[in-house]
Amino acid sequence: MAFRGFGGIATSGLIAAAILWSFATTDVEFSRLLSAGPRIADFFGRMFPPDPTVMAEIKKGSAETLRIAILGTLGAVILSVPLGILASETMVSPAVFRPIRTLLAFIRAIPLILVAMLMVGAVGLGPLPGIIAVAFHATGMLAKFYAEAIDGVSRAPIAALESAGAGPLVRLRYAIWPQMAPVVARDTIFRFELNLRESLILGIVGAGGIGFYIQTYVRSFQYDKAASVTIAVVVMVIAIEAINVALRRRFT
Amino acid sequence: MSTAVEVDDLRFAHTGADFPALERVSFRVSAGESVALLGPSGAGKTTLLALLDGRLQGWSGRVSVLGAPLDPDRPPPSARRPDTGFVFQEFALVERSSVLRNVLNGRLGRMSPLRALLGSPTKHDLEIARTALADCGIADLAERRVDSLSGGQRQRVAIARCLAQEPRLILADEPVSNLDPAHACEILALLTGAARTRGATALFSSHQPDLARRFAQRIIGMRDGRIVFDVPTSELNDDATAELYREVGPIPGIGLRAVS
Ligand SMILES: Nc1ncnc2c1ncn2[C@@H]1O[C@H](COP(=O)(O)OP(=O)(O)OP(=O)(O)O)[C@@H](O)[C@H]1O
Ligand SMILES: [Mg+2]
Repeated sequence: MAFRGFGGIATSGLIAAAILWSFATTDVEFSRLLSAGPRIADFFGRMFPPDPTVMAEIKKGSAETLRIAILGTLGAVILSVPLGILASETMVSPAVFRPIRTLLAFIRAIPLILVAMLMVGAVGLGPLPGIIAVAFHATGMLAKFYAEAIDGVSRAPIAALESAGAGPLVRLRYAIWPQMAPVVARDTIFRFELNLRESLILGIVGAGGIGFYIQTYVRSFQYDKAASVTIAVVVMVIAIEAINVALRRRFT
Repeated sequence: MSTAVEVDDLRFAHTGADFPALERVSFRVSAGESVALLGPSGAGKTTLLALLDGRLQGWSGRVSVLGAPLDPDRPPPSARRPDTGFVFQEFALVERSSVLRNVLNGRLGRMSPLRALLGSPTKHDLEIARTALADCGIADLAERRVDSLSGGQRQRVAIARCLAQEPRLILADEPVSNLDPAHACEILALLTGAARTRGATALFSSHQPDLARRFAQRIIGMRDGRIVFDVPTSELNDDATAELYREVGPIPGIGLRAVS
């Protein structure tokens, strides 16, 4: 069990304290929650029936989101190949992989939406800042996955090629790559799925894609149109997941 | 006759080990000889062979392989590595690659680095790989993936890879430990025969004294990291092998002791 002994009591105490602290210092008024009911009902009422006339916008927005995810993933793969090699203990010395791993952890710690806002400021509105943001953000995870894939292969064939006189890059290509290829395929597909999900909302900060329409319709109180776009997003997420489950099963 | 391997007062301990895996090891192997290393588990056979292959550093003593001294602190230059071929105890094949690809991997050190990286073996490389496959009796398996092979077939691929490397010294670590007696004989005949026709020296480890007798001209017995005998095959007697594999006696201070 997770919560056993003194460590368990201490952990439970800490969790309880955190919850109490959050209630005490946040403006949680139950009266506001109670009066919210009718307003939420009104909100949903205005969403129905969803307005089907926005089909063209949905198509345009989802195509752009898809392009952002594809090009963002491509950019992340291009960055992650060298960074993954430099973050693996099989290929380089600790003096190299330690700082690279720290850098990757740092990249992972920055939320995508924040990167996207910075990029919109740097290169202007549209899908380009979205692509750059996705590529940057995804590299933090993908390069780490690639490094783990390199370090996870069986060592014996690497030693065999070393014994035959093959250099490090040749060993990477003929002893490491064949072993790690399915893992890389699975990891890349997984990251593509995440990129697609996460880029659905990039439009909210002006970084392109279908999120732009949700934001526009909500701001202009056209909830029936916002509802149509939201349904489209949900359908897309479910479809992506189904496709990826099928794809990933092929790489085991 | 020239010398293929010369070892003098070698001592080596694995990092973190509190006793040496090799101690006061001295022997020599003439070029063209077939020599067997016998000894119980943990005797230091794999360690000695890997060290001769240039894969272990931090030892002391003098070691020279094919006329060139090994540096105790750094691996040999890559130009020299193809001359020493190694057959690994657990094969060390790339499971998801084809048999031919694995055998061609043995040639990587013989190609220019650029050609190796681009993966374009010459006609000559392919010919040598195919010859090695044929010599090992697995020409028909060339396109099969290694993960679809039996243990005996993998053993043959491992030997073919070593032969494709065109080594002048073949180090084989228990090349028949996974095989039934008939196949074990066949594989050892193949390995020592290939070494002989190629004018190469063979040093192989084994747990089977009768096989060592059949295929080696000389037998070196090891125990606890030391050489306990080094004799021509004809002089090996059963007492010496029995002594080599005798059970470890009661260790002072541990467990039960014999009551005298
Ligand atoms: N990587 C390692 N780190 C620490 N100790 C090791 C390492 N490899 C081997 N040893 C130790 O060195 C000694 C010799 O091992 P080695 O593998 O050379 O024996 P072996 O004669 O090949 O045995 P086997 O017949 O079981 O293959 C053993 O005591 C072993 O535990
Ligand atoms: Mg061994």
